[in-house]
Parts: sequence; C-alpha cells; structure tokens
Amino acid sequence: MPKLTINGQTYDAEKGKTIIQVADEVGIEIPRYCYHPDIGVEGSCRMCLVEVKGSPKLMPSCATPIAEGMEVRTTTERVHEAVRYAMEFLLLHHPIDCPVCDQSGECWLQDYYMAHAGHDSRYPLGQKTRRLKAFSLGPLVKLDQERCILCTRCVRFTRNVTKTNEIQVFSRGHYSEIGIFEDRPLDNAYSGNVVDVCPVGALTSADFRFKVRVWFLKGTPSVCGGCSTGCNNRIDHSARPEGGGIPGYSAGDGKIYRTVGRRNVEVNKSWLCDEGRLSFHALERWPRLRAGNTSVPAVHERFEAIRKEYGDFAVAGLASATNTNEAMFLMKKYFKGNVDFRLGKEEQLYQERQDDLLRRFDKHPNTRGALDLGLTAFNGLRGLRERAEKQQVRGAWISFHPQLVGDDAPEIIDELRRLLAALEFSVVSTTHDFEWVARASAVLPMAAWSEEVGTYTNYAGRVQITNRAVMPPGEAHHLHHMMAELLFLSGVPTPHEPAAIFEALSREVPAYDGLDYDAIGLLGAAALPQPVEVTR
Amino acid sequence: MIPVKGGYAVDVPIINVSERARREHASVWSTFKAFAVTLRHLFKSLFKGDTPTIYYPEETRPYSERFRGTHILTVRDDGSLKCVACYMCATICPAECIYIEAGEHPNPEIEKFPERFDIDMMRCIYCGFCVDACPEEAIIMSREHHQSVYTRGETIYGIEKLMARPGIDAKGPGYRPNRALAEAKIFNKKDQSVCVFPSVVDERHPAVLYESMIRRRGSEQS
Repeated sequence: MPKLTINGQTYDAEKGKTIIQVADEVGIEIPRYCYHPDIGVEGSCRMCLVEVKGSPKLMPSCATPIAEGMEVRTTTERVHEAVRYAMEFLLLHHPIDCPVCDQSGECWLQDYYMAHAGHDSRYPLGQKTRRLKAFSLGPLVKLDQERCILCTRCVRFTRNVTKTNEIQVFSRGHYSEIGIFEDRPLDNAYSGNVVDVCPVGALTSADFRFKVRVWFLKGTPSVCGGCSTGCNNRIDHSARPEGGGIPGYSAGDGKIYRTVGRRNVEVNKSWLCDEGRLSFHALERWPRLRAGNTSVPAVHERFEAIRKEYGDFAVAGLASATNTNEAMFLMKKYFKGNVDFRLGKEEQLYQERQDDLLRRFDKHPNTRGALDLGLTAFNGLRGLRERAEKQQVRGAWISFHPQLVGDDAPEIIDELRRLLAALEFSVVSTTHDFEWVARASAVLPMAAWSEEVGTYTNYAGRVQITNRAVMPPGEAHHLHHMMAELLFLSGVPTPHEPAAIFEALSREVPAYDGLDYDAIGLLGAAALPQPVEVTR
Repeated sequence: MIPVKGGYAVDVPIINVSERARREHASVWSTFKAFAVTLRHLFKSLFKGDTPTIYYPEETRPYSERFRGTHILTVRDDGSLKCVACYMCATICPAECIYIEAGEHPNPEIEKFPERFDIDMMRCIYCGFCVDACPEEAIIMSREHHQSVYTRGETIYGIEKLMARPGIDAKGPGYRPNRALAEAKIFNKKDQSVCVFPSVVDERHPAVLYESMIRRRGSEQS
C-alpha cells in the first residue's frame, strides 16, 4: 500500500492505481476528457495534468501510476495555466453552436470552460475549420465532427469494450477526424454507449436528438427492466408540465425521454445495450389501460366464495417476472403459496448469456427474485391452464407485464387465451389494453416498469431497487398496493410501503436475510446464495 | 413657500394648504373665473383645433421604440425562420407560456428548427425575457397589442401567426435589445471573417460574453 500526498493530504492507495483513480476515490476533482474508468487510458486531452514533486514537467494524472511518497498538487498556478491552454486549443475550432447542440447543459466543454478557462476566442468565427455535421454513424448515433475534440473515447469503446472497431480516427495532425469505414456502420448491440461516453456534443443519440433540452429533465436512478442482467440506469423524464398548460401538451403524468447507463462495476460497468436503452419505448407500443371494470374488494369477494366452495387451492395467482419482489411476496401470501410466474422457460434461461457483454436470453428482470421467493407451485402458465381445464383451479389472478425487449411469444398469448376461457373467474391486472384481455372476467390496470418502486433480483442474485420515474396512467395501481389491500380484506394487516414490505420479506425469505432498502442503496446488494429448486 | 429642512436629504418646498385654501375662498367672482376658463378651452378646441382627445383606435399615441407588444418571429433572407429551437426563451419564460417542438432541418448547417412554436398569449406577461435570451434574434417584440379574439383557442399563437401579422409593418418593431448584435452579424458565422467579439463586448449585450464581463469586472476591482 503506497502512501501518497495529494494537495497536502496523505492517502493510502492500492498499488498499480493511477493518480486520477485515487483522486476520484477520495473526491478530488481533476478535469478530464479522454480518461474514462471503464475504457482505458489514452492521455490525449492534456486536461488532467498535475504537478508531481521532483518531476520537471506536469504529469498526466490518468497515465501516471502512484508511487510511495509521491507528492501531487492539483491546484497550483502551473496546473491552472496548463488546463487553461489545453482548453483554448480544444475550443480553437469549436463552432460554438450550443443553441442547437443536444449536449449543451451537460457538456463538459461548457463546464470546464466556466470552471477553468473563460477566455475570448482568438480565432474569427468565419475562419474556423468547417467539417461534417449531423452525419449518421449508425441507426442510433449521429456525428458532428466540428464539435469533436478527438478524445477518442468512442474509438476506444468500440476497440476495448465491444471489440467491433467501427469508429476510427482518420487522417493525421490537424486533419484528423473521427469516422467510420464506408461499408461498416456503427450498428453493434451497444452502439448507444458512445453517446454516453462522448464528453461533448460530437456524438448525439438519434433517438433522443432534439426531443427536449436536458435541463428540463429529472434523472431517477433505476434498474433496466429489459432482461435478467439488471443493468443500472438513470431514467431521464420530464420534471414539470411543459408549455404552461397549453391544452394537449402538458406532461401531467410525466414522460420518459431517455435512459442512460449508471455506473455499477458489479453489474454493467457504465454500459447499457441498445435494446435496453430503448426499452422504455415499449410502454408506448400499445394503448395504456387507464381504468378497470372491477374493484379489489369485489375481486376478493369472488375469490372468497370460490375458496369456500372448492377449497383454498381452487384460487391461484400467476405473477409476472417483471413484477417486483414486494408484489410477488404479497401475492404468494394472499394465494397461500399457490402462485407461479413462468410464462415460458425463464428458469432455464435466466443465466444464459446472449453475448459476452451484458445481454441475457431471459427478457424478464426479476426471474431470480421469483425463484428465490419459491413461486413455483405448478408448471408455469401451462400448468395453470391444465389445472383450470381439469377444474382444479377455478379462480385466478393473472398479472401480465409485456416484455420490454422483444415480443412475448405468440404461444404465450394463445395459452393465456385458453386459460381465460377455462377459468370460472379470472382477474387480469395488466399495463396495456391488449386485445386478449377483454376475455377476462375482470380487468384491473397495473403500474408498469418505471412507474413503481420495488426491488428486482438479477441473474446473479443481486437485489437492486427500481424507482418510480413517472406516475402510472389513469387509475392504474401498483400491484403491491392491490395485493396489500386483498390481504387487508382477508384479515392480514399489511404495509403498503415497498420498504416496509421488503422488511417483512427479508424476515421470511432466507436469501434476503438482513437486507433492507438502506443496505441495498443505489448500487444494490448481493442476496445470500441459496440453492434454487425448480419443479417442472 | 419657504424651503424647510424637514429631515430630508434635499430641500423640499412645503406648501401651506390651509393658507392657500383661504386665498381661494369661494365667492361669486371666482365662479365667473371658472366659467372663463371653460369657455376659453371651448373656443380653443372649436376654432384652433387644439384638442387633447385621441380618436382611438383610428389614432394612437406614438409608442416607445422599446414597447413590449405581441411577439414576432423573424426570418432569414430566404424567408425561413431564424429560430433554431434552442429553448432559451422557453427556459427563461417566467410564465412558462412558450411551447416548442424541435425538428431536424434538412440543411446540416442549420440543423435544428422549430416544428411547433406556440405562445400562450393569455399566460404571457410581456416581460421581454424571451427576447433578451434569444441567441439569434429570432424572437423580437412588436408595438402591436391588439389581441382580441373570439375563442380561447385563438389566443395560442402558432408559427404562422407569429411570423407575419397585419399591422406589424405599420407600427414597426418594438423591444429589440439584440439589434446591434444582429446587425454586426455576430449570429451568422458564415458572414464573419474578422473576430468581432472582443470589440463588440465593450458596449454590447452582456449575455453574449458573460464570462468576459466577469473577468473584466474582476480586473477592475483588483
């Protein structure tokens, strides 16, 4: 453990780290463009220069490993001057089109100009180098070469992370520019990340481009609901009604504009796959279900009547692996364990990798959570349908959340149709107004992903909190609220708050022993490894 | 009237109201004096045409050049909107009455333009902040303020209504603080072959080179 001094304060640091890594850990801010913790060191932007005692020149802190007794200063006049000159060179040919640039508001050039530079341009605007603007690199990414500062973060992302090498630096010296080969567009499954890593407005997202200015957005840390990997993301959504109440244009319930990767070294580093990044659009694919045709007490009365006549096991629940642990826990309690969640072969797929970076074949975020809770009473949807046809099950609550990535298999929808036809009394709580839902005896609108608070357990058993970014539409309710009300009606007082429900859950489920929302926090916490037994 | 120092910073004449009232004590003579004043004005307006009445709306008072009336969206030489949909006006607007939807312009040099630009005139408080904030002088204000309509929906002005309306030419533009910058062609980078920023900033609009101002102020103080 070498000891080093930064700005007069001595720190113990792990051997092999660089100065900028140590500074990040202890909260000392060093400006940087090209350095990104997850894509390696380049040392091209010259912004992170620091003064090291004994070295005649300033050292780039991103590429300088720490050594015993090193004395680093980040705030001297020499460092400030070097950063100011670096900024002036980086901005020399900058087109200053902040009004049209999508990055403005979260642009590192703007931030560091205000913090470290503040110079007037010495170069006439009309004589600045003109380059390619608004050029499509691929389906999701647009390039503006005038704004590029050649930090090569995007080049290194495609080289080191996706290993596809689509983006390259072409030409040399003043003529160097970022580009792609003519026949190889940037269309890998992780292309959207280059927009996240670009510190300036050179790479912008074709999906998000010009939709809204970023300072109108509010970020909510959440977890992607696209597959069982459970990547950490930030949902950027409208923070206030727009247009001053101009009829038809006010975003009352809130609207999601984009999701960006949130750094979690244990799960997804800083990345998101393109499918997951755009998965929030899935919520707009069908019309939302805004009102139901029954109430929770009425449903409870029917279930009680069936239970009295045919016994407890005539009533069953079918959860969805997109429901939160809290909702499924209460569902299991209300249906006395007679609950399953499987629509297809989720329990076989949820750990299977789709590629060697993030994606997994199971497109549900909480399969592991359902398995941990032991929601395997019968053989999934097929088992429930068979039981219903044999009249063993007469009433069922079906909670259906569509896959955010890809389509639900048509066989699943067929099975659901047959199940609804076979049941005497069926309640469907779902998010959208699907055509098959009309066959159910009763329909209740349910809050979708990004509209409720709860925990998901990812493929590796990491419990993570998914947060509410927008309000559920119309009369839609959280599933855990509806379940808590059902339990209350059957004489079991139950908390409505997700944190309180999770507290009860962690007491009863051994895998989650000792966990609570504070311990899970923003980055999640690993559940205790438990052997998961699956009956099929 | 004797100037009295009554605790004020400057000398203030103090009028003794009760004494003046005694002097102007009502009598038959002062009644005729009043009739004379009335008749004098009657004959003045009848024969000399010296009347203060303005026959509104056919006549109006001259409005100030800085009058903050209905907004105008200005256009380029080719007739297209100058606005680049940067949302600066919508951001600064304290009444939140501006609604913009941006679109991708076919010309990559312009890149962005407003597909919708709505101002809710019922909400607008005519503060002129949108004009101050505009980096392209795309929105200015006119001297027109006739906004009576038959339905509420018409009070939301869209692009067509904001671009050209009858009556604007007659009265001329109103509040337009960035005019000097627009005429110096600071906004058009193609026309700019010399570095005009440092010379302009001395007397021009502060928002453009905020940072330079701060540094200048700092150096003056030190």
